[in-house]
Amino acid sequence: MTNSVLLNNIDHQNLKIITERSATYGDNLWYTQTFPMEFKSIQAYYPIFFNKDPDTGKFFPLALFGFENKENLYLSDNKWSADYIPAMIARQPFLIGIQTLNEEGVEKQQRMLNIDLDNPRVNQEQGESLFLEHGGNSPYLDKVADLLEAIHHGVIDSNNFIEALIEHQLLEPVTLDITLNDHSKNQMLGFYTINEDKLNQLSSDILKSLQKKGYLQAIYMTISSQANVRKLISKKNEKLAL
Amino acid sequence: MNKPLKKIVIVGGGSAGWLTAGIIAAEHSNNQGSGIEIILVESTDVPPIGVGEGTWPSMRSTLKKMGISETEFLLECDVSFKQGSKFTNWISNTNEHYYHPFTLPNGFNEINLSSYWQPFSDKISFADAVCEQSHLGAHGLAPKQISTAEYSFVANYGYHLNAGKFGQFLQKHCTVKLGVKHVIDHVSKINSSATGDIASITTKNQGDIFGDLFIDCTGTSSLLLAKHYKIPFISKKHILFNDSALAVHVPYESSDSSIASFTSSTAQTAGWIWDIGLPSRRGVGYTYSSAHISHDDAEQELRNYLIPSMGEDAAHALMIRKIPLNPGYREKFWHKNCVAIGMAAGFIEPLEASALALIELSAKMISEQLPANRQTMDIIAKRFNDKFLHRWENIINFLKLHYVLSQRTDSAYWLDNKNEKSIPKNLQELITLWRYQSPYHYDATHTEEMFPPASFQYILYGMNFVTAPLQHNKRESNKVEADKLFNDNIKKTQQLLSVLPTNRELINKIKKYGLPKI
Repeated sequence: MTNSVLLNNIDHQNLKIITERSATYGDNLWYTQTFPMEFKSIQAYYPIFFNKDPDTGKFFPLALFGFENKENLYLSDNKWSADYIPAMIARQPFLIGIQTLNEEGVEKQQRMLNIDLDNPRVNQEQGESLFLEHGGNSPYLDKVADLLEAIHHGVIDSNNFIEALIEHQLLEPVTLDITLNDHSKNQMLGFYTINEDKLNQLSSDILKSLQKKGYLQAIYMTISSQANVRKLISKKNEKLAL
Repeated sequence: MNKPLKKIVIVGGGSAGWLTAGIIAAEHSNNQGSGIEIILVESTDVPPIGVGEGTWPSMRSTLKKMGISETEFLLECDVSFKQGSKFTNWISNTNEHYYHPFTLPNGFNEINLSSYWQPFSDKISFADAVCEQSHLGAHGLAPKQISTAEYSFVANYGYHLNAGKFGQFLQKHCTVKLGVKHVIDHVSKINSSATGDIASITTKNQGDIFGDLFIDCTGTSSLLLAKHYKIPFISKKHILFNDSALAVHVPYESSDSSIASFTSSTAQTAGWIWDIGLPSRRGVGYTYSSAHISHDDAEQELRNYLIPSMGEDAAHALMIRKIPLNPGYREKFWHKNCVAIGMAAGFIEPLEASALALIELSAKMISEQLPANRQTMDIIAKRFNDKFLHRWENIINFLKLHYVLSQRTDSAYWLDNKNEKSIPKNLQELITLWRYQSPYHYDATHTEEMFPPASFQYILYGMNFVTAPLQHNKRESNKVEADKLFNDNIKKTQQLLSVLPTNRELINKIKKYGLPKI
């Protein structure tokens, strides 16, 4: 599936990355993982929900793009129709690799930039260069490295956020009822959202501790992001010409 | 007489004592003055017997109600998932097997699929046709995924557990979280009041402990009900012959050996061998009738059973523990202000893992029907006795059915089991009835039957019993609906086989990630 290797300026000197947005390059996702540190940008465009990772059963926050698998309603004519593209999408085809180094007998883990060579964005003809002529990082690559660093810290923070939500029983399953212009009704199951009743019952001490970590803000941004479901429905109506 | 019931004294720890304490304490808070005080007195001199490692699905709601995290329970008590029982060599000793899964036949409340299945009995087994669970068993799959919330399921399940660890785990939960008071001391005397009630028990080091209700969880010694009150024991050995067991712990070949998700029961010449897969080891044992086989021969049969999975040398080196069994129960379970739970009340071979389930049901009824005062206690005691006498009879009939339906004639044991004198009259009647109509809702005469009609169907049709087709046509036939259920089961089974992890894979994942709470 993926062919992830450590990026270096010798083997990968001439690689280029296509940054166009389209289904061809795997952007036809109906949601992607997000994290509280980018909620401010996410909630302006996308509904935020929670889902469980099928491999670990752990919850993660997600930005929703469509109502079924492979439906990305923000994608049209090879363009992404929102001003902010979630970090998990923008990072493609790069990922973080953990390398274990042995420094004077002490094992240390270091984060390294990896690239998925099988990703269709990777080629030698078109797109953004990774390295400058003499081997230095291109500005594009520096940007990607910053992005991955942000994702790394964002996901660690996100896991703590999730633990706090679970501890205070703030997650609950949600059923989205979607009625389109032709009156057809659809239901979307399986996602989770903030339990507002439980939130309103929290003591001021708990609210204070959530606020200190920035989680109270993240909770309210999650709640307000749900208004974007309407945005998604109107995109769906448009797409179906209803 | 109208003094409110305030203090419950449980005598004896182990699974019975601590489950009882937990179930009652979870429902009745012990806030100072306003609630019920629960004290558990156990003696360190008496080691728990530590058998009975299989539970029913009811254990899930029992633990959940006690506020236990399923993940903690799974990891601390060496637990794996149990989805039912697999019976080998019970029919004809030709290496055949059948399943008794925990899942009810599809559509059971609306339609009785057995008559629609019977014409195809030579093509597909009953369990395979009516639910997905036997298929999961054949593939060693777990009943849920890592993303399935604690206590929720994809396919209904109970547990296989380490009973010793379970007792300790419950003890910790009951004392730390539920406010049960724990006294470790030896009970030296039981003191009566003028009415014949138990007023208090005298302990060696801590003097007299008074109480309003005394629960006897002292195991086979039945300290209060049998020793003090002399309530007679009714032996059922003439129906269920097994009076001895040999138990052994068997290591896995490697740390990634598959863990069976069904309790395996393999019939032998004079009994049957249980085989229970825990994450860290297998628990194996031979339950047999000492009147039909010598101890030495039984031990040899047990070792022979183990040779294919571990080799001859290892099988011969295993330490085997002998446990005497005494099938039967007390004439009544609740007498005066004393009620017995667990082996203090009775014992029946673990063929369908009924021991822990009976403890749960007993404690649940005591908890839900907890007498407000001494005046109402006798009324509730009578109700309790009636209900549990029926339950013991129901278990005995159900277990006996496994033996009666066998076609084995290779030893006196199997022949004696089919002797009419050993079969309770009402079971004989039921078998006659079932030749012409299959067990269904009318066969459940009580609420919360130990074994519902669906279980009887799984055993009957698993063991090739034939219910004759109706001689007359009913006005309505549900053949279309039945066909749909059979086809849906094929589809659902295929889907589950592709998404469910193995029992071992899921347990390894739980060790790493835990199960989600919701």
